[in-house]
Amino acid sequence: MSESAGWGTEVHVTFCPQCDWHYVIPVESAPPRCPRCFAANLEHLTSNTEQLPYLRPPELVTPFTVNKATADQHITKFASGIPYAPRDLNPETLRRRVQPLYLPMWLVDGDVAATWEAEVGFDYNVVSHQERYSDGSGWATQQVQETRIRWEPRVGQLERHYDNVVAPALEQHAALENALGAYALDNAQPYTANVLERALVRLPDRAPDAAWADAAPAFQATAGEECRQAASADHIQQFRWSPAYTDRHWTLLLLPLYATYYLDDDNEPRPVLINGQSGRVFGVRRASIQRAQHTALIIVAIAAVLFLLSLVAGVAGLAMPPLLVVAGIGGFVALCIGLGAIIPIFRAWQFNRRPVETL
Amino acid sequence: MTNTFPPPGFIPTASAIPGIAVYAPAPEETEALPEIMEFKCPQCQAMTAYCVADGGLRCTYCGYYEPPARTIVGKGAQEFEFTVETLTVASQAHGWGETREDLHCQNCNAHTTLPPGRLTHTCPFCGSNRVLHQQAPQDELRPRFLIPFQLEADACRPIAEKWLGSSWMTPKALKQSTVAGFTGIYLPYWTFDAVTRAEWKAEVGHQQQERYYDSGSKQWRTRTVTVWKWESGRVRKFFDDLLVPGTAHLSRVLLRNLQNFDTRALVAYEPQYLAGLLAQAYDVPLEKAWEEGRETMRDATREACRDQASTSQIRNFSMALDFSDESWRYVLAPVYIAVYRYEDKPYQVMVNGQTGAIAGQRPVDWNKVWLAAGALVAPGALLSLLGMVAIVLGLLLPPALGVAAVLLVPGVILLIIGGIIAFNIIGKARRMDDV
Repeated sequence: MSESAGWGTEVHVTFCPQCDWHYVIPVESAPPRCPRCFAANLEHLTSNTEQLPYLRPPELVTPFTVNKATADQHITKFASGIPYAPRDLNPETLRRRVQPLYLPMWLVDGDVAATWEAEVGFDYNVVSHQERYSDGSGWATQQVQETRIRWEPRVGQLERHYDNVVAPALEQHAALENALGAYALDNAQPYTANVLERALVRLPDRAPDAAWADAAPAFQATAGEECRQAASADHIQQFRWSPAYTDRHWTLLLLPLYATYYLDDDNEPRPVLINGQSGRVFGVRRASIQRAQHTALIIVAIAAVLFLLSLVAGVAGLAMPPLLVVAGIGGFVALCIGLGAIIPIFRAWQFNRRPVETL
Repeated sequence: MTNTFPPPGFIPTASAIPGIAVYAPAPEETEALPEIMEFKCPQCQAMTAYCVADGGLRCTYCGYYEPPARTIVGKGAQEFEFTVETLTVASQAHGWGETREDLHCQNCNAHTTLPPGRLTHTCPFCGSNRVLHQQAPQDELRPRFLIPFQLEADACRPIAEKWLGSSWMTPKALKQSTVAGFTGIYLPYWTFDAVTRAEWKAEVGHQQQERYYDSGSKQWRTRTVTVWKWESGRVRKFFDDLLVPGTAHLSRVLLRNLQNFDTRALVAYEPQYLAGLLAQAYDVPLEKAWEEGRETMRDATREACRDQASTSQIRNFSMALDFSDESWRYVLAPVYIAVYRYEDKPYQVMVNGQTGAIAGQRPVDWNKVWLAAGALVAPGALLSLLGMVAIVLGLLLPPALGVAAVLLVPGVILLIIGGIIAFNIIGKARRMDDV
């Protein structure tokens, strides 16, 4: 089904049959791989999109401030320093698969009527003194000023309209924020259809009613800050209110993200995410045990060949005793090389033992 | 949240954001005092005045008595921080809460504030009658607390007479003098609280015995040497209600001798306490008084640091001191002041209106002092002189040398002791004369 209301262009709702994430893409775009699990191509949603409870048009977009070149640097850094990295985990592959993506956050507008109470603090300066004395030079006085806060109670009434109070629209929002860092929302810009030309838009999986639990404290924090300003105070604490909300309106804010992936030993895609604003990278860095084993096998083979040659030298040494010495040295070297075969496997195992954060 | 809005005691206040109403606690209602308060007896319309014996207002004509709303706050009296604003205001103004008439003495430049209706007055500082009217200044720094008079004016006279006769250095005729006309006056004082924290270090000398070889006598001897060692320490001192006078018109020496006021008797300021009495607003601003208070505190802290050293022999002493928790109060303290004349010269006497401690100026009979000093020095000088004569005689008559020694040794000792005592007596007399 195509949809255009509020999006500025004809869009399709697509979903990943593997992880069930929903995306919006322009109708002219071919569905790409799911940028979350990279396990399958996205499929068009054939049912009525009006039944999708969370399909609301975006109002604001936080633009990508990390360009491709900078993202490439972060990817290169991510892919380096891994012993026996999977063959697929190289900067070139990761760069080729990069998919720009927008994550959603709810924006709530609403009217609030409330009574409130709080303690407001006013800064004031007091004068104190520090003195130094020495037998030679007597007293030297230094005046110092320190700022203190005078707390006073205030109560009040509030009738305000608040725009664009944010609340998470994804169940994984906290985990994503933990992995990628917080987004600065103050440079958000109005949404235009051009946004869809360069990136997929992830649809919320969290209902407004569920997100309200996070939006209400944000309303309270915003109102508390305004009450501080209204009281011409420098600080506010213990802000409490009894709000009544009306005329709530929900739209979306889009957060920029780059997604790419690599295939591990089991040929399973491992996603790598890059914050489109700060460049912070999140992904699982794993060493390839298969590659380590392969290297170990080569070492063992070399040791075996050397051992065989030593054995031959030993047999010949029965007739020509000096060869016995060559056979002994050769056997010892073969043993050492053979024992060294454990090193690649140990290094890969040790690297993979490091704690891994997952979303 | 409160159920009623706004809660009792809250009033609307300015809001910087439309749509948000702000309510603040209503300021404490202070009774608006009229610019001039008259204390009249409701029965006979005569003037009432503060009565020390009753601790209230009493009419001297019909005996009507009105008890005061006495609230003893003691050391719990509110203290104020040294905010930048307070220091600025305090340096520009003199505190007073009631419009009163301020008299300016042309003779000694003292400012005295008089109760309403009192137009003629004898200056308590110099006894002069030449005074001019001036408008008393007003400002936010009012005295909030005072120590009420607990000693009646009549009790001052015997205290003063006893005091006048208590020193042999004063003229004999002074013992017959009478000091009358004690005037009760509330003097301005600043009280200061603070904590001082100091870190000090110094070289401290320790006496040690050491043996050394004296090459002259070719013997081992013992001598005492001072070994210097670095020591350091920390001191924390709390100062509570350090009193600093808020007037510069009275002798600091006399005020210091009077200053044993007990701040546990502080009461909240009420104009009734001042009815019929004099009171003086401060003319030493807060910052200047605090400077004096800090000097006292830091010197006391320095002494405490030096006391921590393991011996009293100290050199290269240095310390760093931080003040904290500083606070102040502006209070009025009761003092009786009188001026008596001796040989046409005015002398000031002050009695602490709370404790009865007395301090004042007394004329010194320098003839007596010099005579006493001479009498103390004379025996030693005479013996020493005789001893010298005996020495001269000894040159001719050798046995006289023994007599010379007998005379000279005690003579010199007596001369030294007598000289020291005479020096102290003269110093004491000078201090008495300089007050």
